[in-house]
Amino acid sequence: MIEIRFHGRGGQGAVLASELLAQAAFLDGRSPQSFPFFGVERRGAPVTAYARVDDRPIGVRTSIVTPDVVVVLEPGLLRTTSVGDGLRTGGLLLVNSPLPPARLEAPDGVRRASVDATAIALAHGLGSRTMPIVNTTILGALARVTGVVSLEALGRAIDRYVPAAPAENRAAATDGFASVRLGDPAAPSANGAARIPFAVTVPIPEGPLARLPSSSIRTGSWRTLVPEIDERRCTRCNFCWKYCPDDAIELDGRGYPVLVLDACKGCGICAEVCPPHTIAMVAASEGP
Amino acid sequence: MTREVLSGNHAQSHAVRLARAQVISAYPITPQTTIVEKLAEFVATGALEAQLIEVESEHSALQAVVSASALGARTYTATSSQGLLLMHELLHWAAGLRAPIVMGVVNRAVAPPWNIGADHTDTMSQRDTGWIQFYPESNQEVLDTVLVAYRLAETAEVRLPVMVSEDAFYLSHTVEPVDVPEPEIVDRFLPPRTGHAILVPGTVGRLGSFTGPDRYVEFRRELARASAQVPRVLPEVEEEYRRLTGRSHGGALPTYRAEGADAVLVTMGTMTTTARTVVDELRAAGQRVGLAKLRLFRPFPDTELRRLAATVDRLGVVDRSYTFGASGAAATEVQAALYRGPHRPLVAGFLAGVGGRDVTPAHIRRMFAELLGPADPEPRWADLAPLEVDVHG
Amino acid sequence: MAKLTLPAEEWMYRGHAACPGCGPALAMRLLLKGLGPRTILAIPACCWTVIATPFPTTALAVAVLDNPIESTGASLAGLRAAADALGLADVTVAGFAGDGGTADIGLQALSGMLERRTDAIFVMYDNEGYMNTGVQRSGATPQGAWTTTTPVAGTRRGKREPKKEIMEVVLAHHPSYAATANPAFPEDLVRKAERARAARGPRFLHILAPCPPGWRFSSEETIALGRLATETGLFPLYEVEDGVYRITRPYGTLKPVDEYVRAQGRFRHWTDAEIRELGAQARAGWERLCRRERETAAVARPPPIPLTA
Ligand SMILES: Cc1ncc(C[n+]2csc(CCOP(=O)(O)OP(=O)(O)O)c2C)c(N)n1
Ligand code: SF4
Ligand code: SF4
Repeated sequence: MIEIRFHGRGGQGAVLASELLAQAAFLDGRSPQSFPFFGVERRGAPVTAYARVDDRPIGVRTSIVTPDVVVVLEPGLLRTTSVGDGLRTGGLLLVNSPLPPARLEAPDGVRRASVDATAIALAHGLGSRTMPIVNTTILGALARVTGVVSLEALGRAIDRYVPAAPAENRAAATDGFASVRLGDPAAPSANGAARIPFAVTVPIPEGPLARLPSSSIRTGSWRTLVPEIDERRCTRCNFCWKYCPDDAIELDGRGYPVLVLDACKGCGICAEVCPPHTIAMVAASEGP
Repeated sequence: MTREVLSGNHAQSHAVRLARAQVISAYPITPQTTIVEKLAEFVATGALEAQLIEVESEHSALQAVVSASALGARTYTATSSQGLLLMHELLHWAAGLRAPIVMGVVNRAVAPPWNIGADHTDTMSQRDTGWIQFYPESNQEVLDTVLVAYRLAETAEVRLPVMVSEDAFYLSHTVEPVDVPEPEIVDRFLPPRTGHAILVPGTVGRLGSFTGPDRYVEFRRELARASAQVPRVLPEVEEEYRRLTGRSHGGALPTYRAEGADAVLVTMGTMTTTARTVVDELRAAGQRVGLAKLRLFRPFPDTELRRLAATVDRLGVVDRSYTFGASGAAATEVQAALYRGPHRPLVAGFLAGVGGRDVTPAHIRRMFAELLGPADPEPRWADLAPLEVDVHG
Repeated sequence: MAKLTLPAEEWMYRGHAACPGCGPALAMRLLLKGLGPRTILAIPACCWTVIATPFPTTALAVAVLDNPIESTGASLAGLRAAADALGLADVTVAGFAGDGGTADIGLQALSGMLERRTDAIFVMYDNEGYMNTGVQRSGATPQGAWTTTTPVAGTRRGKREPKKEIMEVVLAHHPSYAATANPAFPEDLVRKAERARAARGPRFLHILAPCPPGWRFSSEETIALGRLATETGLFPLYEVEDGVYRITRPYGTLKPVDEYVRAQGRFRHWTDAEIRELGAQARAGWERLCRRERETAAVARPPPIPLTA
C-alpha cells in the first residue's frame, strides 16, 4: 500500500487531485481510497486530502499521518504548514515549484521532486493568476515519479471526472509527467532534526471562551499575488484602507498605506479601488 | 413558612418566584401552561421581578434563556412533550455552553395520536443531552427540587442545566397541601447568581465557537466531568436545604422498606406513591417487598443501584415509556449499571402508565407477583394485561 | 492627507478565515466600526462561524455568542432581557446572520423578535445563498442564478423563483429602524450602523455582501460589483425610520444591469432578453421605492410604539 497526502489551498483542487488519483488507480485495476480532511476551508486556506492505493481492498479508514508521499500543490505552504510531518524515511516530497529539487527543504532522508505546475497550468489556460488550477499537472508528475498510476489511466480519469476543459487538463498532466525533476534524498542536517518548519501552535486557554486574537494566524501565506504600492503616485485617499476585507492596510503617520504582510490575502481589491492606480498586484513570490 | 393547597405546576411557579429567577421565557402547551401563567401573574403583580419573554416557540424559549444565562442571569423555562422535542437542538446547546438553566417539564405523551396524558417518552428521549433530570412524586417534592436544582446547577464544578419533571395531571393539575418556605429562608439557601457571567460586554470572548477533531473531545470530557460531580454535590446541597427547611427527599435513589426484601420495584414519579402503599400492604401480609425511587435519572445513580443490588435478588423496573426496538429506558440503564458491578440480581422490566393510563395498586400488586414468580426478564406491558383490545378493530 | 471618513478603530482582528475578497468580512469590519466595542454579537451557523476562526482564537474584538442557525432572533431577546435584568448599561445587542439564517430557517425567530419589539439590532448579511455549506440556493438567491442545488443543466436554468424581499417582510413588523447597506459604500454603512445603535426597539440592517466563490467572480471585483448592484437599482440604499422612507444614495438615472450580470459566473447562461427583463425589474423596484419616499415624507410620523423587552 502506498499512502499519499496532498496539501493545497482551498479552490486549488487538492481534494479533486486526490479523488482523480483514486479514479485513475481504479482504472488501472487497483484498489484506491481517497478522502479530504474536512475542515471548513475557505478559498486560499490550507487544505489536506489523503489517498491510498493498494492491490487489495484498503483495510484502514483513518487520516494519513506517516505518508509515503507528500504532494504540495502550493509552494507557499512549505513556509507555513508542517507539510512534512510524519513523512517516512525514504519517502518522497513532490512540490509545485520552479526550483530544482535540491533547493527544496525536506526532512532527512526524504527524496525530493519538483515540477513547475503553475507555469504549465497557466500555459494551458487552467485557472487564473490568483488561483491556478494545478491539480492535473501535479498528478502527471506524481504518476511519473511514483508509478502509482499510469499516465494513460490518469488521462481517462480526467476525461471522465474533470468537469471543465478535459483536453487542456490532459495536456497539462502529460506536461507534468514530462517535466518533473527528481532529486536526491535530503542530507541529514547538522543537528539531525527535520528542517521542515512546523506550524505555529497556539496555547490552550482556560475556560470555554475563545479569546486569543486571530491576528496570530498568518493568512498572508494564502496569497498568490501581493499588492505593490507606489507611494509616489499615492494621493492618500485611503480607499485601500477602507475597502480591505482583511484590514491588511495600515496608514502611516503621513497617511500613506502600508501593507500588513501577515494578513494580506492578495484579493486585489485595494488595487482595483485605488483611483490613481498606484497599486499593482504582483506574483507573491516576487513581491515583498 | 406557609402551607397552601397548590397544584404541582403552581408549586413549580412558587419555587421559581422564591428562586428570584431573572429571565423567564416559555411557550404554552398543555399541561405545562399553568406554570407560566402563574409566573406571568407574579411578574405582573410585582411578586417576582423578572423579564418575561413571551416567545413564539419553545425553540426560541430555550434559546432566549440560554443566551440570558450566558450573560449571567438566573433563568427558567418550562415545557412538555412536543415542546421539549422541538427544543432538542437547544438542549445540547444549553449543556454544551454550561448554562445553569432550570426547566420544568410536565411529562406528557408524544403524538401521534395526540395525547396529553402522563408519559416519559418526552424526557427519556432527551436523556443524552447533558441535562440533569429529576422525577419528583409530590407537589412538595416539586417545589423543593426546583430550589435544590438551582443550587446544584449553579455550583461551580457542576454548572449544568436541570430538568425538574412532573407527571402530567398526576402532579401538574393535582392540588395538595404544600409547605412554601419564606423568601428569607430561600435567600439564605440560594443567594443571587454571581461569578457566572461567562460573556462580559466590552471584553473579547466568543462562547460556542467551533473546533476540529483536535479539541472537540476535550470540551465533551469537561461536560462529562461536570456531570460526574453531581453524586458528590447533590447530598451536600440537599443537606443544607434540610437544615433550613427540615425537608429532604432522599437523594438520587431513596429506598423504602428495601432492607431484607426478596423483590424491590424501581419506580419513577407519581407511581411511587401508590407503590409505597402497596408495599406496606404486602409487607403486612408477610411478603418481603420493597421500593426504590429513581428520583435522579441523569446522571444515573449507578453507585446507589449497586448498593441496592447487593441486598436483593429480584429487581423490577417500571418505565412510563418504551424505547422502541429495545425496552424501557430505565430498565436498560439499571441492567447496564448492575452489569458493571459485582451483584447481578434478576432485572425485570415493566411498562406501565403509558399515555396517561392509571398505574393502580392492582397493577403494582401484579408486578410484585410476577417479580416473585418464575424468573422472566422480558419486558411486560403492564398496561395491556387487563384489557387486551385492538384499538383499530 | 485626506481625512478619515470612517472611525479608525477596528473591532475585527486580522487573520480571520474568510476567502480573499469576502464581502461579509468587509461588512463585519465596517459594521463594528459603527456598533463599537460594547456590542454583544449573536452569530448563528453561517460563513461567519468559520470566518471568526476556531477555538481558542477569535476574529472579533467584542463579546460573541454562537447559536444555532435558526434562533438568532430569540438569542437577541434573551441577551437583551439579561442585560436589562442585570443592569448592564450601554450594551448594544446585535445579531449577525446570513440570508439563510435570517430569511429562511431564521425567519420565525426574527419575526418573533421584531413583533415583540425586542430592543436589539438584527443584521442580515446577504450573500444570496447558503455559502458556508458550499453555495446552495436560499430564499434570497436571485431568480435565474446558478447554485449547486439550482444547476444549469437539462431543462433547468438556475433558480426558478424570484428573490425573497426580506425588507418587505421586516417592514410589515414596523421596526423602529430598518435600512439597506452595502460595503461598497462604507460611509453610508457605518452611518446606518451608528443610527441603528442610537435607536431603541427592533432594528434591522440588510447588508448586501458579494461572495466571490459563490457568485463566481474574481476576488478583486467585490467592491465594483457591490457598487453596480446599487447603481443599477438592484440593491438600492435606503432607510426607514418609524415608517418614513429615505433613499440614502439617490440616482437620476440608473446604470444598465448588463455589466453586473456579465461579471458573475452564476449568470453566465443568461440571454440578452433575460438581462433586459432584470433591468426592467430593477427600474420598477427603484420607482416603487422613490414613490414610497415621496408618499411617506408627506404623512406625519406615526406615534412611537412603546417598548418592551
Ligand atoms: C439546523 C441546521 N440545518 C443546517 C445546518 C447547516 N448549515 C450551516 S451554515 C448553513 C448555510 C447558512 O447560509 P446563510 O445563513 O445564508 O449564511 P452563509 O453560509 O451564506 O454565510 C447551513 C445550511 C445547520 N447548521 N443547522
Ligand atoms: S490585496 Fe489589498 S485589499 Fe486584498 S487583502 Fe491584500 S491589502 Fe487587503
Ligand atoms: S464563501 Fe463567500 S461569504 Fe463565505 S467566506 Fe467565502 S467569500 Fe465569504
